[in-house]
Amino acid sequence: MTRRNETAQWDTAHRTRHVFLLTMLMLVLSWTGPQHVILACGEPPSTESGMTLNEVTQGSLLFKTHEVGRYKPAPLLKTDVRISVTGIIARTTLTQEFVNPSRLKDDWAEGIYVFPLPETAAVDHLRMKVGDRTIVGEIRERGEAKRRYEQAKQQGSRASLVEQERPNIFTVSVANIAPQDRIIVEIEYQETVRYDHGAFSLRFPMVVGPRYIPGTPVIIEEETQGSGRSSNTDRVPDASRITPPVQHPHRGPINPISLTIDLAAGFPLGKIESPYHDILIIADQDGSRHITLRQDVVPANRDFQLTWHTAGGPSPTTIVYQEPHKESTYGMLMVAPPASAETVTAPPREAIFVIDTSGSMAGTSIEQAKAALVLALGRLDAQDRFNVIQFNSATHLLFSEPQTVRTDTLGKAVRYVERLHADGGTEILPALMMALKGSLPATHLRQVIFLTDGQVGNEDELFDVIRAQLGTSRLFTIGIGSAPNSHFMRKAAEFGRGTFTHIGSTSEVKAQMDAIFRKLERPVLTDIQVRGFEATVEMFPPRIPDLYDGEPVVLAFKTSHVPSTVTLTGTFNARAWTQTVDAAGSQSRNGLSVYWAREKIASLMDQPRLERGEASIRELVLDVALAHHLVSPYSSLVAIDTEPIRPTNTLLTTHAIKTNLPEGQNYQAVLGLPRTATTGPSHLLIGLVTVVLAFLLWRSRHRIA
Amino acid sequence: MSTIQTTPRPLVILAAFFLAVGLWQIGEGSWIYAKARLAQVLLRRAWFRTLAGETQVRPWPWADTWPVSRLRVPSQHIDLIVLNGAYGRTLAFGPAFVESSALPGAGGTTILTGHRDTHFAFIRQLKESDEIVIDRPDGRSTGYRVHETRIVDARTDSIFLSDETKQLILLTCYPFDAVFSGSPLRYLVRAIQPPSAPPRSIDRPAGTDWSAQGESAQPR
Repeated sequence: MTRRNETAQWDTAHRTRHVFLLTMLMLVLSWTGPQHVILACGEPPSTESGMTLNEVTQGSLLFKTHEVGRYKPAPLLKTDVRISVTGIIARTTLTQEFVNPSRLKDDWAEGIYVFPLPETAAVDHLRMKVGDRTIVGEIRERGEAKRRYEQAKQQGSRASLVEQERPNIFTVSVANIAPQDRIIVEIEYQETVRYDHGAFSLRFPMVVGPRYIPGTPVIIEEETQGSGRSSNTDRVPDASRITPPVQHPHRGPINPISLTIDLAAGFPLGKIESPYHDILIIADQDGSRHITLRQDVVPANRDFQLTWHTAGGPSPTTIVYQEPHKESTYGMLMVAPPASAETVTAPPREAIFVIDTSGSMAGTSIEQAKAALVLALGRLDAQDRFNVIQFNSATHLLFSEPQTVRTDTLGKAVRYVERLHADGGTEILPALMMALKGSLPATHLRQVIFLTDGQVGNEDELFDVIRAQLGTSRLFTIGIGSAPNSHFMRKAAEFGRGTFTHIGSTSEVKAQMDAIFRKLERPVLTDIQVRGFEATVEMFPPRIPDLYDGEPVVLAFKTSHVPSTVTLTGTFNARAWTQTVDAAGSQSRNGLSVYWAREKIASLMDQPRLERGEASIRELVLDVALAHHLVSPYSSLVAIDTEPIRPTNTLLTTHAIKTNLPEGQNYQAVLGLPRTATTGPSHLLIGLVTVVLAFLLWRSRHRIA
Repeated sequence: MSTIQTTPRPLVILAAFFLAVGLWQIGEGSWIYAKARLAQVLLRRAWFRTLAGETQVRPWPWADTWPVSRLRVPSQHIDLIVLNGAYGRTLAFGPAFVESSALPGAGGTTILTGHRDTHFAFIRQLKESDEIVIDRPDGRSTGYRVHETRIVDARTDSIFLSDETKQLILLTCYPFDAVFSGSPLRYLVRAIQPPSAPPRSIDRPAGTDWSAQGESAQPR
């Protein structure tokens, strides 16, 4: 070998080593995030998995039958929503079209769909449309309605049934949909618009998020189980009715919704916003607006919200409506106290932040919650005390005792919040009890700020705890995510004598937190009394809640005579507050009796079950619900076609209609089983490679240089 | 060519850095295995207290889980304590019971899941008709026989939960030897309780539907 050759060879070796080292370096660097790498785990699926999925045409949903490996396509659902807003009352017609896509002659279907409505909705009409005929639904006691529906179903008649599971969860059942045929169900409800700080808003939920069900499964012999994923448990006895099956996001979105709103606000309209959906706004000559979604349809996977403001001028601060109905006059009164211009020094507070880190918060929700919490920590004063509690399957406190606000405690809290990770169950109860516990000097205001999506099934149990253990604390709920449980947010805040807000996207965090802080830091209007009505008046809510900055008094009343003036008194910032409302010239409106009845039911349902007894509450609710044609926990709407159409020798298959996963949620974290592979092998491999690399580098250190 | 005496400093630092990273990674990896083994020792004590009549015995004070049953496979010399709640935190310490499935040994379909490279590494060895025993907190045992083993794709397949047969499903990530986690495939072992030996049985409700990955009945 010549010297020249030797050099050349050495050069090659040199270069090879360089390349080798560089490659190794790059490999190591690219391996620092093993969770993002799918190497050996990405093999094509086994073809022997025994499922006959290929037979199903695209677009159909698959559901379980009792025979393994044989599917019948479930009814397809399409929804159209028409909301008509007049002043602060909104009436909505929800049209659900159920199509049985099966081509088999004898393949009759029953569809069961669990869907959300606004938590204040008063459902009062049901119409079933078959071909060009319309069958009008009737209100019945819940058990009786169910029996009539079942009977019609067995006999082969078309039938539909609307039941209430929670104030914001309803079930519609539609029986005897012929193959290749459709049944259209129209549901009508009324609600009132929310007014807060000069803005009016309306929320239309589109999907019931997957609920966490605490407790142990129990089976009661006579009780029929619902069509949901969960079994009934001792703590959530109707769990199987509120847990619809969820479509895997891999299979694409389902349940398209179209939505239009006719908005007649009753005042010159300014800014109209829809934070979560793109909308088109067409102005009418009379000043009202026609609003549609920019896209024809959207998947039912998140709440829709519309917020509107006045055009520059002051918002109407007093609204009185009335409606004569039968012998009585029903009415509604809304009074927004004028915003106080005076700046007041906030009293020292003890702020207990409770953050939900369960699996349903994984994804965008936990990011929103963390951002909101960090913002909230930054707003604390040196005179305040605070603590942070997180909960999932277990509850964890940042500090064993609330701490005074100092640079080090705040820094620790911010680091703690930034490291939070969402996974596990939603055991709210222990966290709630922990948050409400604790004594504090009388100089401090105790405020519990609860950040959660509220995706649980045991709301009533939680409300009982709030009612019993609130003490001097005040509870504020911040609903996080695209489809929070608004019923929980509203009622928990109501029982907690606080207020609620929603954060549906990261861009909203700042504005919504500013709004809630304005309420937390300002004095509250308390001890509100209404004078002027005669003694026989029935008013709801019976006790007017404390008002936070920007909130109005909203009252439903039934009386034989509307007085000319109504006087409101209260205490604001340790001073007496009075406002007189001219009720004589009040406008006439339809739907106020429905509103009053719905408020009365809500107020009856708010009473502690133990105190009054379930049976007596049931009777009182039924009286109101049947008289006013309202769906309630104890009354349902049922529509039955006259003649049977399904031959008795054919079978009817029941399908639970799947729902989408709320936008931003992580299927794996909410409904999936955890990963069953550790990162152990990858750590070891990376470790070994890096050590070998270090060794090679050490050995070749002179040659490289 | 430079002289041999001077050691180039950046390279030494780089080598030291790699060594440190390497050892850290090895430590991290080994800790996962060590934890998996050590925890079972502590769990055993908690299990005996459970057998003695205590409920929800926390194996260590800050634990958010407790033993629900003991899983034994005589042919593989496997003896593991099963924990409540199939969450990532729990699985580090032992196989876990999917909370919303039927209670282990109670009848209906019970689902247990575990890490494919620690506690559940053994399930690849299971063959048809192998015996699996579940000890319950009340001291009684239920025997199952392996009925089938198969690979399912968590994205497309569903497990059909029969309400009539009393069965046990063991589930883990697949393939077993993959270095990195995150596969959509699952290895499933289905064992059925022989009809001859039925202990006390509680029927499961109809309508529980979930898939391998999957649509577990319990959202969080």
